[in-house]
Formats: sequence, structure tokens, C-alpha cells
Amino acid sequence: MEMNDPLRREEKKETSPDRDESGPSSPEPSRPGKDNLLKRMKKVDPKQSEKYKQRTGQ
Amino acid sequence: MSVSLLGLETEYGIVREDLENSDPVEESMKLLKACPRKSVFGKWAYSQENSHLDMRGFKVGSLAQDEEEDAFCAEDRKRPYSYMDMKCDRVLTNGARFYNDHTHPEYSTPECRSVLSLVAHDVAGEHIVAECVALRNQELKGKPLQVFKNNTDYSGHSYGTHDNYLIPRETPFEDLVKGLLPFLVTRQLYAGAGKVGSENAATQNFQGLQLAQRSDFIETALSIETMTNRPLINTRDEPHAVSSWYRRLHLILGDANMSAYATALKVGNTSLVLSLIADGEKFSELELADPVADVLKVSLDRTAILKRKNGATITALEIQEAYLETAEKSFTEKDCEQDWILVEWKKTLNELRHSPEKLSDRIDWAIKEKLFAEFMQSEGIGWDDPLLKSLDLEYHNLNSDRGLYRGLQQEGDVFSLLSEEEIARAVESPPVGTRAQIRGQAVAQGAENIKSIHWTGVEFANGEILDLTGVIGPEEVEEILNSNKQLA
Repeated sequence: MEMNDPLRREEKKETSPDRDESGPSSPEPSRPGKDNLLKRMKKVDPKQSEKYKQRTGQ
Repeated sequence: MSVSLLGLETEYGIVREDLENSDPVEESMKLLKACPRKSVFGKWAYSQENSHLDMRGFKVGSLAQDEEEDAFCAEDRKRPYSYMDMKCDRVLTNGARFYNDHTHPEYSTPECRSVLSLVAHDVAGEHIVAECVALRNQELKGKPLQVFKNNTDYSGHSYGTHDNYLIPRETPFEDLVKGLLPFLVTRQLYAGAGKVGSENAATQNFQGLQLAQRSDFIETALSIETMTNRPLINTRDEPHAVSSWYRRLHLILGDANMSAYATALKVGNTSLVLSLIADGEKFSELELADPVADVLKVSLDRTAILKRKNGATITALEIQEAYLETAEKSFTEKDCEQDWILVEWKKTLNELRHSPEKLSDRIDWAIKEKLFAEFMQSEGIGWDDPLLKSLDLEYHNLNSDRGLYRGLQQEGDVFSLLSEEEIARAVESPPVGTRAQIRGQAVAQGAENIKSIHWTGVEFANGEILDLTGVIGPEEVEEILNSNKQLA
């Protein structure tokens, strides 16, 4: 598969690991995206992991 | 680079939430049967498999599993299905193998030449599996089927994500082991997917987030086993290539990463270290006194002090920095992708040392650490709350409406390594210049023309056998594509 030059990704400032030296910007506490994720997390069944039974794999 | 080909195998977790006793055999079979992709179905050449040869020069009679799995398998034999029925093998037009392995849907990427190509194909696997889940849920008239890209059920059952490297046979296996073990013990600093709690009997009271999902399950340094007595380095000697020239290093200690960036670092850094070892680097000063114990020690405490064989102490981060320093001396400014790997490896280690919170958009355990810390604070709960394990599981859910990593992607809160176009291309098309291109083209031309298929070849319906055992480089691939009438 022909991949694009991975270095081009450095130009995507908003998502690149190479963003400015101050590091990743934290999501604003009240912004809609954060609320959406919080809602998603609150919907998780607390017993989900207990009910999740798998068989041993490799 | 001494690594000729790369591959990733991922076993997915699967559950029917509307059933009290979800049956993974039935659900995995129905998932594979729902796959809409053009593929060769049920024709995998198991006669070409040989998983009982050991790199240390002997052959084992059988591979082991625990008593619980023995009992499950005894029940499986009473089912009205053959072994091949349960496997549901598919080979796709992108050269990948998609099938059921030990009751888990498994996506094995096609063989790739570059790290970014491999990562694209690993993510393509997520998309193909999710597509099958959606179709199966349409049949079920709801969304009761859920599939997870993770490695544990939090009750002591683990399933694997294996990274594979085709390397020269001439590198002595003992050199590989000595040079690689300290690296493998510590690569979880960036390759760990994070796990709430512990499933290891010795540390079962641990509360919090450990670095890796698999570290609880590593019991020995070297072993041919994969379902019990799991090793740091698997010694299965099955190169799927000319065995006098190559060995396939089959690593089973790794995690299933949701972050494509973390997968790229894991595979990219491992490839560079393998090349250093092939070039004669020994890393003797880094040898650990007890690497097996250290893998869990580091997972539970990334700043843990480790004892070396020479009596000195060292941290996991210092070990990674030593490997990076050697890699920079050998590989800087020789290849675009290698330079990208070196830059990102260095940046990650620097941030681990000075500001680990900066990793919370691209390293899975760090993403979870930030996400769960914020949630615990807002809800007034701690790591001992059982909800945390359920949140941890849901992070890995492939369902775009439920998965927490998927939610972070939708909000742009995690680093996006691949474009949608790159992923879409990997879903449909094989990597160029590897034998997967030949396999993919054979599948695309029609399953009816194929009698059996394997990593090492294709047997066509007319009896012609296309042996790909020795086809590794792009020149050999091109020669076959240009000369074989079945592929014309």
C-alpha cells in the first residue's frame, strides 16, 4: 500500500503530536464534546465487565 | 532494516448482551458468516501449518491449554459443526485473513513492508469487524452483539494481539533473546493499552490503572505456548517463508491498541531494535536479572527500579532511552519512515520523563488515565468502584455509538494518525510489493478459481499451485504478477 509521507502529518497542528511546546490543549470543561463523552460514560452498565465472559485465547 | 515483512494478529472479544449465556462459538461463526466482503471462504490450507516446531531446536507433541478450556473444547466436539465450520476462514481482497481462532474473531493483517502500511491494515481490520457486527445486529433487530478490541475479560481470560517480524535466520536466536528482552519488558511504557485492576493472583488487590492488559499473563521468558505459560518471546518456529533464510519472530506479549499511533510506535520501535540486534548490537549492559517479574512490576509502576544482571539498577524509561540512543546513531536520516519513528519515540520518552500528561491524546493508558480521572472526580468515585472496569472495557468497544475511544475520536480529542482515505484503501486493497498483493489479486479474481489458500501460496481450481514461500521482496512479487496466467 502506498502511504503518504508520514511527516506531512506534522502540519496538522490541531491533532499532531508535534503541536506547540505547551503540549496538547485540554478540552474545555463545559464544551459540548466533553458533555457528550460524559453522557456516554454515564450510560455504561456498571456490571458490564462482570457480565463480559470470554474464553481463553492465544 | 533487517525486518522484511510485518504483520499483526488481533483476537477480538465478542458478547451477546441480550443472552444470559453468550456462546462465543456460535456468535463468532455468525459474525464471520455475516461478512459482506468479497473473499475466499472455508479454503484455508491447514495442511501448510506447523505450530509445533520450537526455535530452540526441538518439536513439541502438542500445545497446552488450561483445564477449563479443555472442558470447553470437549463440549465443542459435541456441536454439529466440523473444525472447518467453526473456523469460518475468510481471505479478503486486501490479503488479510479473517477467521475464528479459539472462539475469538481474529483479523490477521496482510504482510506489510512499512510500519504505517501495517497500522492502516490493522485499523482496516477494526472497520471490517465493525461492519460485520452492524450487519449481524441488523439480523438480530437491535444491537445486542458487541465486539471489543482488547485482551481480557477481567476474570482471568486473556486473548492475544500478536506482532510478527520476518527477520534473517542468520541472527542467532540467543542474541535475539538477550538483546530484545529488556526492550520488550519496557515497551509497555507507550504500547500498553492500560487496564483497571489486576488479574494476577500475586497482585489481585491492586487498585488503579496498570500500563498493559497482558502483563498480568506473562509467566516465563521463552515458551512455544500461547494459551498457558505465556512468554515474553514465543519460540514457535513457523516462518511462513524459506526457513533456512528466515525466522518469524512471533511476539504474544503485546496489547491491542485503539490508538494507531501507539501501534505504530510499538511495531516501529521493535523493528528498529531487531535491526540493531541483527547488526550485532548486544545491549548486554541492559540485561535484567528477572525480566519476567519486571514486566508486571513495570506495568503496575512505570517508575519501578529494576535490577540488572550486572548488579546495577535501572528504570524502564532509562532502558528505552538507551535503546533509542543506539537506534538514533544507526538509523537517523536514512529513511523517511525510520526518521518519523525515531522522532516520535524520542518525543514520547521525553514526555514520559517531563510531562506524561501530554501523552493523553495518543497513548492508550495515558488517554484512559486522564479520561477516568476526570470521570472519577466528577462522579465522586474511586478506582475501587466496579464501574471503572466497565468503562475500561467500553473504551475498546468498536461500536461507534458506545465505544469510549470512538467517542474521543468523534470529538477530535485523540491524535489521528491515518486519514479516512488511507483506511478505506486498506479495507479494499493489499499492501503493494508483498505477496499479499498476489493473494489479494487472486481473491479479487474470484473465489471459484481457488481450491485452497495460505500465507505461502494459492492452489487454483485447475490444479496449478502458486508457491509463495520464497516471495518476499517487491521484485519477486512483480515478477509473479507479470508472469502468472491465473493472475492476468
